[in-house]
Amino acid sequence: MPSRGRLTDAPVASVPAVAEPYVTFSHLRASLRPRAGALEAVAPAPSALTPDRPADPALARPGADATIPDLRHAAIALHDVTKVYPNGKRALIEVDLVVPEGDFIFLVGPSGAGKSTLIKLLIRDELATTGTVLVAGRDLARLRRRHVPHLRREIGIIFQDFKLLPSKTVHENVGFALEVTGTPRREVGPAVERALALVGLSAQAEQRPNQLSGGEQQRTAIARAMVHGPRIIIADEPTGNLDPLISWEIIQLLLRINELGTTVLMATHNAEVVTALRKRVVALEEGRIVRDEVGGYHRQY
Amino acid sequence: MLSFLAFSVRRAAQGFWRNRVMSLAATVTMVLMLVLLSGLVLVLSGLEAGLQFVESKVEVQAFLNDGVAPERVARLQEQVAALPEVATVTHTSKEEALADWRAQQEAQGRPDLTGLTGTNPIPASLNVKLKDPRQYGQVVEILKAPKGVVAEVLETQRVVDALVAITGVLRTVGLGVMLMVALTVLFIVVNTIRMAVMARADEIEIMRLVGASDAFIRWPFILEGLLVGLLGSLVTLGILAVAAPAISQLGSTVLREIPVGFDQRLGEQLVLLVVGAGALLGGLGATISVRSYLIK
Repeated sequence: MPSRGRLTDAPVASVPAVAEPYVTFSHLRASLRPRAGALEAVAPAPSALTPDRPADPALARPGADATIPDLRHAAIALHDVTKVYPNGKRALIEVDLVVPEGDFIFLVGPSGAGKSTLIKLLIRDELATTGTVLVAGRDLARLRRRHVPHLRREIGIIFQDFKLLPSKTVHENVGFALEVTGTPRREVGPAVERALALVGLSAQAEQRPNQLSGGEQQRTAIARAMVHGPRIIIADEPTGNLDPLISWEIIQLLLRINELGTTVLMATHNAEVVTALRKRVVALEEGRIVRDEVGGYHRQY
Repeated sequence: MLSFLAFSVRRAAQGFWRNRVMSLAATVTMVLMLVLLSGLVLVLSGLEAGLQFVESKVEVQAFLNDGVAPERVARLQEQVAALPEVATVTHTSKEEALADWRAQQEAQGRPDLTGLTGTNPIPASLNVKLKDPRQYGQVVEILKAPKGVVAEVLETQRVVDALVAITGVLRTVGLGVMLMVALTVLFIVVNTIRMAVMARADEIEIMRLVGASDAFIRWPFILEGLLVGLLGSLVTLGILAVAAPAISQLGSTVLREIPVGFDQRLGEQLVLLVVGAGALLGGLGATISVRSYLIK
């Protein structure tokens, strides 16, 4: 496809000229961090928590050509991505974004700036109109339909409205993610217990969502997102429905998950949180990345 | 694979039960359609069997009055046999006819009631086989000519023609009605499963987000449709089993001495047909319903 630029061919200069871009392609290799052993810290048997992750030799050694960074190592890489919806709305325009494995980034911007579209592209709910989207080493434009579920098992996704099933207990809600992906039953229980231990909800395992506080519900959702042992956590306004104190709890939890090696991308309006944490902030406005630097919310959206 | 099956079956049963009013409505219409289908098949196969039976028999049968002098019968037989269009003429005595009748009744599993009458009610007959079944020539006139010998002439070809016409009309009308009913059943199944899908919309969304494959999303619903179909066919088979003797009776009453009823082969075919049609409609309806819920 001649219209679709290949990421690996892109010269460094094609990164949009924003003040002090947090990462360029040449910075990428240096910022790669090993994530092996990430979950062992909390999980007694990581092999069960990450049941079907294939051993990828490409992840173990650097690319053959030292001058061109191997973007398959990046958790997320978008190059020159434009998304035009069938109704003609241009939701994303020429977006370049590289998120190295193990990063924590905030995605900010007013409503309608393209945050949701970006997240939909990452989980391949939508396909980019032009440009390349790489997630967990996969070129999503080339990803076969039947492999989409495998991509999504590498991504844990968290929403503002939690999306828990009210008729199921906390344990069942978390186990559901494993159950519907064909995990053998005897492996589900231990994996769920580890995920609940990670978010500190072991005691509430048999309660139903309506018996939980908002923070506990969101932690259940995080446990569900983590139960597959994903490489990437995408959180879409995870604190949108929570009061400030509980929001901080959730942020702390996401930071801890990140420290354990999982890449976290968090879309948020919460200026206080973004400003307080010296993390990378990517700002979208009218479909374009207008800022990509460490710290600060700068504008009130 | 095992966990997939267990998961799908569990969810299908759960879905059926949660949406039980609609599921039962679908099952009942399924039963209605399958009963109609079986009825049509039974009547058609009955007519078909009758047709074959009649065709295999003599083309012209003359029933003789009781107590006619044997030499008059013999003369008539010679007269008819001499006709150019006749192949053979055979004489069946009253005793032979009674034995045939009894054998026939026994083959259909019905009690022999002829012993109760004391006398033999079955008439003797002259059976004329024609060279060409459609060339009657003068056979009927000659048979009827001598006074008091022949009670009634049965021209089988007329019966055959009538049967063919009835079978044709029944088949066309029956298939038309069947198609409409099947379409209705399909719509109801589609609607039932769509409601089941909508009831699980949240779950489906979560399933897609956490990386459930299409099969995990789709098969519980297809199984739910199959469940409706299989339940419908089981009820239908139950009804048929209960009604079988009555149907047999009715068939033999309407079609007189033609042997109609459940033989084993027809029974097996009917079971296959009912179960197959039920499963097909249920599965197809469900498949139509869940098609829009797959990964783009």
